[in-house]
Amino acid sequence: MEDFKYIGKSVPRIDAADKASGEIKYMSDLNFPGMLFGKILRAKYPHALIKKIDTSQAKALPGVIAVVTHEDVPGLNGFGIVTPDQPVLCKDKVRYVGDAVAAVAAETGELAEKALALIDVEYEPLPVVDDLIEATQSDSPKVHDGGNIHLHTKVVRGDVEKAFKEADLIVEHTYCTERQEHAFLEMETGVARIEEDNILTIYAGSQYPHRDQMQLSRCLALNPHKIRVVSYPVGGAFGGKDELTIQPVLGLLALRTKRPVKMVMTREESIISYWKRHPMIMKYKTGVKNDGTLIVNKVTIYADTGAYASLGGPVVNLAIEHACGPYKLSNVDIEGYCIYTNNGVSGAFRGFGVPQTAFAVETQMDIIAEKLGIAPIELRRKNALRKGDIAPVGNKLTTSVGTVAVLEGISKTKLWKEREKYLVKNTKKPWIKRGFGFALTYQGTGLGVGLPDYGGAILKFCENGGFEVGVGMVDYGQGIGTSYAQIAAEMMKCPIDKIRVLLGDTTLTADSGPTSASRGLYLGGKATIIAAENMMTILKEKAAEMLETSVKDLDAENGYICMKNRPEKRVSYEEIAAQFMKELHHLPETEGHFLMPLADMKVENAFGLPHHIFAFSVHLALVEVNTLTGQTKVLKGAEVIDAGDIVNRQGLEAQTEGGFVMGMGYGLFENTVIEKGVFKTTNFSTYIIPSVEDVPFEIETVTVVNPEETGPYRSKGVAETVMCATAPAITNAIYNAVGVRIFKLPATSELVYTLLQKNEEKCNENTN
Amino acid sequence: MMKALNYLRADTIDSALQYLDEFKQDIRILAGGTDLVVRLKQDMVEENNILDISRIKELNDIFRENGAIHLLPLTTHTDILESETISKYAFILREACATIGSPQIRNRGTLGGNIVNASPAGDSISALFVQAARLKLKSINGERVVSIEEFFTGPGKTVLEPNELLVDIFMPELEENETGFFKKLGQRDALAIAVLNVAVKMRIREAGTNAFDRAVVAFGAVAPTVVRGRRVEKAIISSSLDSPEQIHYIARLAFREVSPISDIRASLKYRQDMSINLLYEGLLELSANDWKRKV
Ligand SMILES: Cc1cc2nc3c(=O)[nH]c(=O)nc-3n(C[C@H](O)[C@H](O)[C@H](O)COP(=O)(O)OP(=O)(O)OC[C@H]3O[C@@H](n4cnc5c(N)ncnc54)[C@H](O)[C@@H]3O)c2cc1C
Repeated sequence: MEDFKYIGKSVPRIDAADKASGEIKYMSDLNFPGMLFGKILRAKYPHALIKKIDTSQAKALPGVIAVVTHEDVPGLNGFGIVTPDQPVLCKDKVRYVGDAVAAVAAETGELAEKALALIDVEYEPLPVVDDLIEATQSDSPKVHDGGNIHLHTKVVRGDVEKAFKEADLIVEHTYCTERQEHAFLEMETGVARIEEDNILTIYAGSQYPHRDQMQLSRCLALNPHKIRVVSYPVGGAFGGKDELTIQPVLGLLALRTKRPVKMVMTREESIISYWKRHPMIMKYKTGVKNDGTLIVNKVTIYADTGAYASLGGPVVNLAIEHACGPYKLSNVDIEGYCIYTNNGVSGAFRGFGVPQTAFAVETQMDIIAEKLGIAPIELRRKNALRKGDIAPVGNKLTTSVGTVAVLEGISKTKLWKEREKYLVKNTKKPWIKRGFGFALTYQGTGLGVGLPDYGGAILKFCENGGFEVGVGMVDYGQGIGTSYAQIAAEMMKCPIDKIRVLLGDTTLTADSGPTSASRGLYLGGKATIIAAENMMTILKEKAAEMLETSVKDLDAENGYICMKNRPEKRVSYEEIAAQFMKELHHLPETEGHFLMPLADMKVENAFGLPHHIFAFSVHLALVEVNTLTGQTKVLKGAEVIDAGDIVNRQGLEAQTEGGFVMGMGYGLFENTVIEKGVFKTTNFSTYIIPSVEDVPFEIETVTVVNPEETGPYRSKGVAETVMCATAPAITNAIYNAVGVRIFKLPATSELVYTLLQKNEEKCNENTN
Repeated sequence: MMKALNYLRADTIDSALQYLDEFKQDIRILAGGTDLVVRLKQDMVEENNILDISRIKELNDIFRENGAIHLLPLTTHTDILESETISKYAFILREACATIGSPQIRNRGTLGGNIVNASPAGDSISALFVQAARLKLKSINGERVVSIEEFFTGPGKTVLEPNELLVDIFMPELEENETGFFKKLGQRDALAIAVLNVAVKMRIREAGTNAFDRAVVAFGAVAPTVVRGRRVEKAIISSSLDSPEQIHYIARLAFREVSPISDIRASLKYRQDMSINLLYEGLLELSANDWKRKV
């Protein structure tokens, strides 16, 4: 790697001090004079017709300034990133218990809540659609008039039937995963108010301010220029703030009352009303030759998207693309159904369909390895996709492919090197058994073919000789702002403290697409580089005038433009800025725009398939299973990662640790239980996320050398792959420890215990 | 939504008793508030007056007196963990309090609150059962002492009268030849409400043997109140815990002592099995340690 000043270094987070000191103002910290408090009336039933809504009593309550229903939505009463099928406020039907039926703005939160209780809604309950498979039957009650199948995608390549005939071994299993909650620290929160020039300003944390603005302009029938969305800072998102949440109602109330309105969700309302990871049922049938060559895969995926589409279609599609794992397969039949039910709403969540399929594929791989007597690493290496190969859905891999590199990297982890030592038998407590497992995964960077995928950045030159970078992405904890600062400082050859980063603001930052799909660094970074190149040209031109020389003889270094041969002849950036001010009375501003490179083909009936650039990772886990209780403790974790070159080492380690812990929660604990459309786990007393006591003391981050030439400083996106295969690494380790295969997540103590009992019964039957 | 409340504060036992008498049915005591405030937020408290007793100095102490160890009700779980007296003379209680919530909850939550809250999953309670704790209840009319086992009548229900204050929790000091443990099974390793817990106290008949002449066993979260495992106790006393098989045989009797329910945390069947296995594991661990208590 070249010698860089900031790139590749563990640069501390630029927002760390403000966050640690509490200086930073989250949306819930915002208060304005005359501010009202908004509340939303949620549906009383998971599925019902609305017969009548009477708001008269609520309106009559002193201190209540506005009560709104569907009648008050000025524009399109629907939102949704792909299909706007979710009403801002329901008119004739509710489809899940978080559906918004009416909203109130009042002088205090207490009054607003009192007013909600006074709104009289008459319902006619309908049968609840809660079973994923039954929902697909033709006689099932319908969530939407068009039927319960929102999307069906099928990808077929090769001759599947023939391949199964030729297979020496066929492994067939059904895998199930549950509904994971993002569990961000800050719930959906915001303030809307009308500011100068009659601009409706929405301060609400989200992942894509410019799309929020577009969706809001449709719902509120307002010129997008009359709406400003500020979506940073935000206390966590993980995909859960990609779609709109409270914004349309918030905007509506502010327009109605002409006063600032604040809305803060409680944890309970947040869990009931907003997005979750799609639960999936995945049927796998894999055919393999005796030497371990995978020859065919038939996969059917059913995904529960809940009441509305949001990103359900793309999630199912990404699951399809990654359904076979990073393995060579020329005969595939992969199909996916995205299904409407009355089970809450599912949407975007870190991994976007891949954590589900990674669990299935990587369990299949371990089963096959065992049946054929091939070492699990060997089986994976044998089938690994390499650069130049055709991926399972048919695209040719022409960018960096790290499958083999990350598999080989396993041997570099301390966990692997010392596994024999860690796996010693517990002689004092023989009922406690240790096991080791790993799993391989990969994840596309960006949105994929067919979706607009671009990055944008604005770079402003400042009087102090520094720069302001404005990218419309959002740092929701992943540290993207720091990476932009690193890139800008490196490109502009100036100290990093001279860089100010602006994020998530439709007025101050360039539209850079959604902060999702592991694309923030890649696209925002590339756009920043282009903006910086343009800026450097301008600075050099001005410096050439000032130094009376030509641009080609100039170099930039540490805040100066200097002559290549006579470095003492130089002008500082401050001097250049002063010169601009003197001559033009303003400072130059540049932009960078970048289009994502795309794969060489397109999959029909799909959103964003396939991808062109992928990050790869192996997840490793050492577990201890208590055979008396079924409890699994993860003792150690490690990840081997191919993310191209690393822009911020410390940032990567934080991503890895956070991703591993999130994947571990997914694997062992987390499940939003919904019964007959009603939520049973509405806060962290019953929705179990790992506590610090559950987290392994050590999670190693090992990187491989595999630069991605198209990426900013040869990097690629990593935020998702770091969580996607932790669950199967753990469940494979559980098998290694106690011999039970997990086909259903989460592998709770009770599930593992029940499976152990079944195993024991089987053993007894066999010996009798 | 939290309703408006009338906040009162007492700085002495006497003034607390006065308030309790004055407001009769309509007053609720606040100690650490870690149970009460949660309930207030859920609008599940009927009373309109809150009596803060957290600053009554006379209610906050740990001391030994005539072979008994006294914990006054404002003793926090952290106080218990930090007390040498407790780790020596009431170590089963200590093990229980160590599993409660998180450091923040243990810093605020009090022993008195854990008892009066009367959750079947209250972790200190099974330990107090096996340590034969007694509770002193005081009102303006006088005071009475009840055993911990008589105190509970159902989930959240106790024999405490509305005008009574819990003022002392005391129990015999554990002796050198007494051993035991507390074990809890939760859905994760911290901040977990017990799926089940079990406390055991046993008196070694003769050093170097596996025989016991006294045994008390209590289970939490498997019945409307914490329950004793009398069949298990009898079996421990009448046999010798010589082998894992023998211990398992005894532990299996737990199955008949518990009457759990299925809820979001665990099924009835799992709780039944765990009442056996948690007890079995605890006894195995203790036996592997030559019946020496953990310190
Ligand atoms: C996040 C969290 C985790 C928790 N984890 C656990 C756990 O793992 N295990 C567990 O057992 N509990 C747990 N709890 C519950 C709680 O922390 C404990 O029960 C604690 O000991 C309660 O004590 P307190 O002083 O806070 O009680 P408070 O909330 O102040 O009072 C509880 C009840 O007792 C009454 N009361 C209190 N003191 C007296 C007195 N001296 N006389 C008469 N009545 C009185 C009050 O009126 C109230 O009804 C948890 C709570 C939270 C919020």
